[in-house]
Amino acid sequence: MTDDYEHYEAVVVGAGPGGAAAAATLAQNGVETLVLERGVESGSKNVSGGLIYAEESAPYTIDGLFPEFRSEASERPVTEYYLHNVAGRNVKTIDLTDLHEHDTTWSDAVLRRHMDSWLEGRVHEMTRETGGGLLTGVRVDGLLREAGEIVGVTCEELDPIKADAIIAADGVNSELARDAGLMDWEDPEEWFQGVKAIVDMPASAIAERFGVDEDEGVAHLFSGDLFEGVRGGGFLYTNDDSLSIGTVFHLDSLVAEAAEPHELLDALLTHPLLDQWLQGEYEELEYGAKLVPDSKKAANPSPHQGRLMLVGDAAGQMQAQGPIIKGMNHAVSAGALAAEAFSEAQTRGRPGEAGQRYETKLRDEGVMAKLRPTRYTVASAVGENGAVASVTDSLVDSPLGRLGIEAADRLGLLRRAFNSPFVMSVMPDTRTPYVTAPTAIAEALGTPVREENDVEPPDLADRIGDLTYDVGDPHIELRDNSFAASGAAVSACPVSAKDFGGGCYRDEKVKTNGHEEHLVSLDTQPCVECGTCAIVADTEWEHPAGGKGVEFEQG
Amino acid sequence: MEIDPTDHEIADLGPKIKDVDDADELREMLAAEEDGEDRAPVKTLIEDRLEKVAGEDEDVDPSDADLDDMTVADVANMVRDIEDIDVLEDLLERERDGQDRKTAKSQIEGRLDTLQDSDHESEDEDVVVEDPEEKYPDLDHPTADKKHVRALEDGDYRDMWVYCETQQGQLIDVSKEMLGKARGLMDEYNDEYGESESVVAVLIGDGVGELAEECVAYGADRVIYLEDERLGRFRHTPYTRIFCDMARNGGHPYGRDDRQEDDWRDYDEPRYTVFPATNNGRDLSALAQAEFDSGLASDCSDLFIEAADISNPAKTGKPGETVEFQRVLHMKRPDFSGFEYSTILCLDKPGREFHPQGASVIPGSFDVPGPDPEREGEVIEHEMPLEDDWFKVEVTDYDQLEGGVDLTGNEVVVALGRGIGEDPTEGIELGLDLVDQFEAADLGLSRGVITASYQFAGHVEQYVTEERQIGESGQVVEPDVYIAAGISGAVQHKVGMDESDTIIAINTDADADIVEFSDYYVQGDLFEILPELIDSLEKGELDIQALAGGASDD
Ligand SMILES: Cc1cc2nc3c(=O)[nH]c(=O)nc-3n(C[C@H](O)[C@H](O)[C@H](O)COP(=O)(O)OP(=O)(O)OC[C@H]3O[C@@H](n4cnc5c(N)ncnc54)[C@H](O)[C@@H]3O)c2cc1C
Ligand SMILES: Cc1cc2nc3c(=O)[nH]c(=O)nc-3n(C[C@H](O)[C@H](O)[C@H](O)COP(=O)(O)OP(=O)(O)OC[C@H]3O[C@@H](n4cnc5c(N)ncnc54)[C@H](O)[C@@H]3O)c2cc1C
Ligand code: SF4
Repeated sequence: MTDDYEHYEAVVVGAGPGGAAAAATLAQNGVETLVLERGVESGSKNVSGGLIYAEESAPYTIDGLFPEFRSEASERPVTEYYLHNVAGRNVKTIDLTDLHEHDTTWSDAVLRRHMDSWLEGRVHEMTRETGGGLLTGVRVDGLLREAGEIVGVTCEELDPIKADAIIAADGVNSELARDAGLMDWEDPEEWFQGVKAIVDMPASAIAERFGVDEDEGVAHLFSGDLFEGVRGGGFLYTNDDSLSIGTVFHLDSLVAEAAEPHELLDALLTHPLLDQWLQGEYEELEYGAKLVPDSKKAANPSPHQGRLMLVGDAAGQMQAQGPIIKGMNHAVSAGALAAEAFSEAQTRGRPGEAGQRYETKLRDEGVMAKLRPTRYTVASAVGENGAVASVTDSLVDSPLGRLGIEAADRLGLLRRAFNSPFVMSVMPDTRTPYVTAPTAIAEALGTPVREENDVEPPDLADRIGDLTYDVGDPHIELRDNSFAASGAAVSACPVSAKDFGGGCYRDEKVKTNGHEEHLVSLDTQPCVECGTCAIVADTEWEHPAGGKGVEFEQG
Repeated sequence: MEIDPTDHEIADLGPKIKDVDDADELREMLAAEEDGEDRAPVKTLIEDRLEKVAGEDEDVDPSDADLDDMTVADVANMVRDIEDIDVLEDLLERERDGQDRKTAKSQIEGRLDTLQDSDHESEDEDVVVEDPEEKYPDLDHPTADKKHVRALEDGDYRDMWVYCETQQGQLIDVSKEMLGKARGLMDEYNDEYGESESVVAVLIGDGVGELAEECVAYGADRVIYLEDERLGRFRHTPYTRIFCDMARNGGHPYGRDDRQEDDWRDYDEPRYTVFPATNNGRDLSALAQAEFDSGLASDCSDLFIEAADISNPAKTGKPGETVEFQRVLHMKRPDFSGFEYSTILCLDKPGREFHPQGASVIPGSFDVPGPDPEREGEVIEHEMPLEDDWFKVEVTDYDQLEGGVDLTGNEVVVALGRGIGEDPTEGIELGLDLVDQFEAADLGLSRGVITASYQFAGHVEQYVTEERQIGESGQVVEPDVYIAAGISGAVQHKVGMDESDTIIAINTDADADIVEFSDYYVQGDLFEILPELIDSLEKGELDIQALAGGASDD
C-alpha cells in the first residue's frame, strides 16, 4: 500500500444537520476539514417531517452555529400544536402546544432540500477557510484501515483519504457504522419508517385555512384507528407555501400487519378531518420516505471506535418523544460535540482520545439521557410485556376504561397527561398509546366530522413517475430471493406493493420443473433509498454511487 | 524547560520532543545538551524540531518553500496569496518533479488559471484557445520543436469532408447524421459567404462503392470512395494513408509524388473534416489530423460555423489587438465531467496553418435526416497504389460482438410485459411467433419482465436481455405498429413508444394506463388473444398494417 493518500485533520461524511454542525464546529476551531456528501447537492437525498427544534437545554442549536438559519433556511415557526385522536369519523382534538413548547426555544418547519443546500453553502465557506471544503457527488463506501486501525475513508469517486478524525454523519443506514460494527441493520423493532407527501398550497390559502399569519405555523398530529392498527401516527406541518403530510410507523408493526405505507398515507390524506385544510384540492409535489432510528433502542451509548465517531441518525440518535420527533436537533448537538471533542483532544496532542471525550460529552450534556431515558427501560419492561399490554388494551377498551377517560377529560387530566414530557417519553411501544387509547378517547369524547374529503392522491406509479432519478448500477442485491426471506419488503418498501409490477420489490410465483416457488424480484430503479429493505429483507445493501439514484427536490 | 534532554535516552526523547511547540524552550534544551552530554544525534533531533517550530511561525516564502514538507492544504493556502505567475510555474514544476500530487498540482494550476484569466478578461469565456508554449513558457514542450511539420504554407482549403463509416456493408447511423449536419452547415456557409463549397463524403472499405448514392441521398455533393477486398475491416495504416491521399491534392509538398491533381477541385486540402466518434472513427481522426499537422476536437456534440474574435497574441500575432477570424468551425464538446461544455476552435497562427479544422462527432448528436433519392451528386473512385507493407498486420481472427439489438427501424414491434408472468416461456414464444408474421418486426420488452425472477427455458432465454428494453432507460421506438401485450403503460415505458403510429394494447385490465394512449385495445388474456391473432394473421384473415393505416392518431 502506498502512503501518499491525501490527508486531512478531519473528514466528515454526510452533510445533513449532523455533518453540517460537525464541520462548522471543526472549522471554527481551526481544524482542516473535508466534508463528503453523496447527493448532487446536500439535501437531495434527505427526507424529514420535519420540525427542527432548538431546545433550551441543548448544548448546541442550529441557529447558534448558523446565525442566519431561521431567516434563510427554514419555513414557518410552529406556533400551535394539536393532537387528533381519531375513531372513524369521530375526532377528539387535544391541544399539545404545552408539550411542544416544553424545553423549546423555537421550532420551525423545514424542507430538507432547501435547508441542507443552504447549509452546504455555509459549510463550504467555513471549511475552506481552514484548508478543506465540501464536495458533493462523492459516496464514501468504507473505512480505510491500516494494521487493523481505522485511518480514513474509501470512496467510489476519489482515492482513499486519511484523517485524524472521521465523523460519520451519514444518516440512517450508515455504511460506516456498519463497517465498524457499531450499528447493525437487523431488528425491525429498532426502527420507524417515515413517509411523507409535500402538498402544494399557496401562502394565502394556508393563512385562511389554518388561521395563521405569515410568521406563524401549525402542527397537527393524528393517531387512532385510521392506520389499520399499525403502531404509529400521522403529521401535518405548514411550510411557507406547501404542507408536509406524512406518517411515522414502527417498522416491526408495519411488517407484522403487511401494511402498505403509501396506503396508510392515503388513509390520512383522504380522512374527512383533512377536508377543512385541503378543501378538495390536492397537488402532490413529492413523495418520499426514510427509515428513522428509535433512539430508545438503537442509540449506541458509545458511538465511536478509534478515529471514528458517529453522530445523528448514524448513531441512532433519533428521539421519538411520544408524537414529537426529534432527530435533527440531536444530530446537531452530537455533531458539534464530536467536533469539540476532537478539537480538544488534538490541542492536547492526544487526538486518539477524541472518541472517549465525545462519549463523555454526550452523557454530561444530557443528550444521551434524552435519547435513552432510563425511565423507558423500566417502563418498557412492564408495558411491553405481552400480558400487561393486553390488559391495558382491554382496560381502555372496556366501558369502565371509557368512563375513566371521560372523567379524566373533565378533570383536565387527559390534556395534562399528553402534555407531560415524562409520560410521553416512557410510553411503551405497544398498541395502547398509538391505537387503542386514542381510538377509545375519540369514541368516548370525539365529535364526528361532517365534511367529505374527496381528494385523490396519485397512485404509486404516478408518485414514482414524478420523482427524478439518475439511474446508476443496482445498489441493492437480494441475497435470498425467496418470499420467506425477503417478501416483507414487497409491502414495507414505500415504492412497492403487492400486485404492483412497477415497484422495487415484486411478489412472483415462478414455476420450475413442475413445482411453484414463491419469490421476490428486485429492480432498484424506483428506489427512494429509504433503507427499509436493508432491515426487513435479506439483501446486500449499499447506497448508490455519488450523484446517482433518486433526487428529492423538496425533502 | 519541561524536558531536560540530558535526563533521557535518545530513543524516548524522539516522541517527547514532538509535543514541544515552543522555540525558546527548544533552544534552551539545545543549550542544556551542549553543556551536558553533547550528543550529536540528540542535537540534530532538537535542531530539526526547532526548525519546524520556528518555520511554522513565519510565512513561507513560496519561491523556496519545500513542497515535500507541505500538505496539500498548506499548498492551497500558500498559493492563494501568490500573484506572480513565474513563481507558480516554478512551484508546479517542482511539485511535478517531487511528489507529483494531483491535488497539489490542481491547486497551483487553479491559481495559475485565475491569474491568467484576469489577464485575458476580454476573451469570450466559452472559447478555449490553447497555446501551451505561450501559456507555460518554462515547461517542456516536446512537440514544439517537432521536426516533421507537414502543415502547408499559404494552403488553399475548401469544402467539408465527412468520413462515412460502414459496418457489414451498411452506412452506420452516425454517418448519415454527419452528412445531414454537414449539408445544413455548408448550405448556410455558402449563403453567408457567397461561396459554392461542397460536402464531400469519403468511403473506404470492401465494396463500399455501392453506398455512394446513399451518401448523396443523405446530403453529399461528391463521394470519393476506394474499395479493396483487403479493406474489409478497419486497419490503421491503410485507412489513414488512403484518407490523407484522398484529401491532399496532387502537387502537395507532403503528398504522394505521383498523385495526379483532381480535375474536380483546385484546392490543396479540405477546409473542414468530420469523423464519427466511434472506435474506428476516433482512431482514424487522430491519425489523419496528426498527419495533416492540424488539431482535432474529439467527441463533439455540436458544430457550427461563424466568425470568432480572438485576442490571444499567439494566434493574432498582434498583442493587445482583437482580430476577427472568419469561417471558424466551432466544435462544442462536453468536458470530462460531462456537465459543462467547451467550444473548441482550431485557428491558424502566424507562421503555422492549422487546417483542416477537424472534429469527431458523438453518434446520436444529430438527427438522421430523411434521405432524398432524387438528389444528384458526383461519385469519384479514388485510385492509388496500396502497398503490401500497409497490410503487414494480419487479422487472423475476430469475434462479431452480439451487435446489441436495435429495435428502431422496424415496421412492427411486439412488446411483452409482466402479463406473461403466468407462463413466461410461453409468453415469449407467442411474442416471437407474432413477430414472425411480419417482414420488418422484432420483439421488445418492458423493464418489468427483464428484472423479474422468471425462469425461461433455454431457447427463449437469450431474448430476455436489457437490449430489448423499451422506455426511458431502454430504447425509443416509433414503428408503424406497436403491439403491447401485458404491459401496464408506466410513464417510463410510455416515453419509449408513444410516438408509434398505431398502438395496440392487449391487457386484462381495462383500467391499465396503456389503454389511455392506445389506438386499439383488446381486453383479455394475452395467452388467449395472441394465439388467435397469430392464427388469423397466418391465414391472412387480418391485415394489421391496413388496420394501422385506418387508425386515427390520438
Ligand atoms: C418522515 C420523517 C419525519 C421526520 N420528522 C422529523 C422532525 O419533525 N423533526 C426532527 O428533528 N427529525 C425528524 N425526522 C428525523 C430526521 O430527519 C433525522 O433524524 C435527521 O435527518 C438526522 O440527521 P443526520 O445529519 O444524522 O442525517 P441525515 O440528515 O440523514 O444526513 C445524512 C447525510 O449523509 C449523506 N450520506 C449518507 N451516506 C453517505 C455516504 N456513504 N457517503 C457520503 N454521504 C453520505 C446523505 O446524503 C445525507 O445528506 C424525520 C424523519 C422522517 C423520515
Ligand atoms: C427511473 C426508472 C426508469 C425506468 N425505465 C423503464 C424503461 O426504460 N422501460 C420500461 O418498460 N420500464 C421502465 N421502468 C419501469 C416502469 O416504471 C414499470 O415498472 C414497468 O414498465 C412495468 O412493466 P410492465 O408493464 O411489464 O409490468 P406491470 O406494470 O406489472 O404490468 C403488467 C400488466 O399486464 C397486465 N396483465 C396481467 N396478466 C395479463 C394477461 N394474462 N394478459 C394480458 N394482460 C395481463 C396487467 O393488467 C398489467 O397492466 C422504469 C422505472 C423507473 C423508476
Ligand atoms: S428498495 Fe429498499 S431502500 Fe429502496 S425504497 Fe424500497 S425499501 Fe427503500
